Amino acid sequence: MRGNRQQKSQRPTKVKSSLPERIAPYAYVAPFFIIFGIFGLFPLVFTFYVALFDWNPIGAHTFIGLANFERLVQDSRFWNALVNTFGIFIISTVPQLILALGLAQLLNHARLRWANFFRMSMMLPYITSVAATALVFGQIFDYNFGLINWVLGLVNIDPINFLASRVGSWFEISAMVMWRWFGYNTLLYLAGLQAIPREMYEAASVDGANGWQQFWRLTIPSLRPVIIFTVVMSTIGGLQIFTEPLLVSPESGLTCGAGRQCQTLALFLYEQGFGQFDFGYGSAIGVALFVIVVVAALINFFLTTRTRGAN
Amino acid sequence: MGVLALALVAGCGSGGGDDSAAAGDPNAEFTFWSFTGIGAKDSVDEYLAKNPDAKVKLSEVGSTTETATALTAALAGGEVPDLVMIQGDDLPKFVENPDNFIDLRTLGGDDLADEYLDWAVGGATATNGSIVGVPTDVGGLGLAYRADLFEAAGLPSDPTEVAAAWSTWDDFIAMGETYTAATGKPFVDNVETSVFFSTVNQVTEKYYSDDGEIIYDTNPQVADAFDVAVQTYDAGISANIAAWSSGWDPGKANGSFAVTVAPSWILSGIKTAAPDTAGDWRVTTVPGVGGNWGGSVIAIPARAEHPEAAWEYIKTMMSAEAQTEHFQSTGTLPAAKEALTSEAVLSYTDEFFGNSALGQVMSDSVLDFNAYYNGPDTSAIGAGLLNALVDMQNGNVAPDDAWDKGVQNVKDALG
Repeated sequence: MRGNRQQKSQRPTKVKSSLPERIAPYAYVAPFFIIFGIFGLFPLVFTFYVALFDWNPIGAHTFIGLANFERLVQDSRFWNALVNTFGIFIISTVPQLILALGLAQLLNHARLRWANFFRMSMMLPYITSVAATALVFGQIFDYNFGLINWVLGLVNIDPINFLASRVGSWFEISAMVMWRWFGYNTLLYLAGLQAIPREMYEAASVDGANGWQQFWRLTIPSLRPVIIFTVVMSTIGGLQIFTEPLLVSPESGLTCGAGRQCQTLALFLYEQGFGQFDFGYGSAIGVALFVIVVVAALINFFLTTRTRGAN
Repeated sequence: MGVLALALVAGCGSGGGDDSAAAGDPNAEFTFWSFTGIGAKDSVDEYLAKNPDAKVKLSEVGSTTETATALTAALAGGEVPDLVMIQGDDLPKFVENPDNFIDLRTLGGDDLADEYLDWAVGGATATNGSIVGVPTDVGGLGLAYRADLFEAAGLPSDPTEVAAAWSTWDDFIAMGETYTAATGKPFVDNVETSVFFSTVNQVTEKYYSDDGEIIYDTNPQVADAFDVAVQTYDAGISANIAAWSSGWDPGKANGSFAVTVAPSWILSGIKTAAPDTAGDWRVTTVPGVGGNWGGSVIAIPARAEHPEAAWEYIKTMMSAEAQTEHFQSTGTLPAAKEALTSEAVLSYTDEFFGNSALGQVMSDSVLDFNAYYNGPDTSAIGAGLLNALVDMQNGNVAPDDAWDKGVQNVKDALG
């Protein structure tokens, strides 16, 4: 902004900037727009285009208009995947963000020893490969030989076949998602917390606010931008969840269980596109997923933005 | 992310289609995509031993499905291999679009098909007569069972006696009930692959009529096969352990079940999963007529750079003689008729399986097998019905509703 104003003030003196100088700013930002155009915009537009076809990657491409979308609306597998996606999203994101907030409070505590060690260890789950995570959680939740069922067996409870039921498989996948992302969100919250001046808490204490009041009236409103960011990012990521359900039961392939009990929209898209080679229908699912993610992210954005009104 | 990948691959589509070079060096280095678990490395080694001048670049892409997916992406615009293996279930989609492959008749003459099992070649032949692939192997069906556990339960344990005792599927279920009553343990690993995949491959018409119409929901043979699986479940003799699930391999080792389906390519898996049970297993015929599960073909994409070198490999390694040798070293059952009736195959036994007449059982199974037409959605239909049975075993669908659920699964899949 300041640079802008200076330029304006120089204008009356009629110092002309040379052509390269005028082009330079555009050249600096160009790489982003070029890369975005190739890897972001083009695939997006092309997906909309392919969705209008019966598109066999190794055969004919037949224009069929909106037939793929009509089929999608009537396809019980689509609604099933939609329910699964939101189910897994909600039971993984809500507890995760609350947990992250609590952990960030602990890590921000002034008297915590080894604080940096604990803060750094938060990143450990995040940098572990999803495949490795899925392998370990697969072992923990396994029906025949899993750690959980072993413990249940010790207290004479029948083993639970997590993957066989809808809620059980959601639970297993959510555990994986939570484990992977809570540290990342904790650090974001921690950064937000550290930006709040200590004087504000001191002033609040002088005014007689207790711990809870300080948390609700001071901490949460100050963290609002970070909370909005984490909620929107979690929505975008959570609704596109793919790898965890794909790896959770390798023998059932792309349906994530015989009854599609944990098949998410992204997995359904992949099944249709690359399992059935029906690119047109897969693209239609992709378009639907795009719209759903945008709508959900906007709703969450407005909901979280309104937290200020509550205070 | 998925959206992006899909569009990127689609974006490159519909290129190529240029004619392959007319002449070329048969010893040029060619790329060969295979899937894992079929012994492709051994096969390439054998080829190099026979033809020291040849150069092969082998990639074991992944599972059969992953290989088919990679091939699809390659055909849609990527760099294609010179030679590729395609598993039976994935084959119809490729055969439907034969322009993507070299018609092997143009390389090997019209009598190419005579050498192999008719139905195996039939599955790789397009409606315009183009032969897309040469059969590398078939999946002759048998049942593997634990002789020691059978004996302990007071059942016959000799393969011929067992085969006679379960000559029908009703007998099979009755035997299972005797076994479970005597031991308190499940008889068979699961109903979807061990029973349904066996029975549904013993039909004369499967999911398509001979003229290509979809009839899975009206064909009584399919409904009967499905019903045998439901009855097996109702009898309470299934361990409900899905094939390739985490409990399957340990189950073979610790006797969680006594019987599992054994197409020829599964046998080596029993050996690696349960080495301590060596000598306890036997292999015999399935109840009823023979059957087939699996098998593959080998094909040359139309845009291959070195089709002559790839063809040289097919000629050398797919001969009856070479398929017999490959069977002896890796256990994949030949698709060449001459090989299937050769002394080497018929007399083949394995100590691990108590010297059961493995070769004879497998060979009989595919020679007695009724050919039926497999259409482009055969594997999707099979998966829909199979999933209903798995869902039933997981307690999510009542046995009486399983068939309706299966039909619904297929209807959803076919759109």
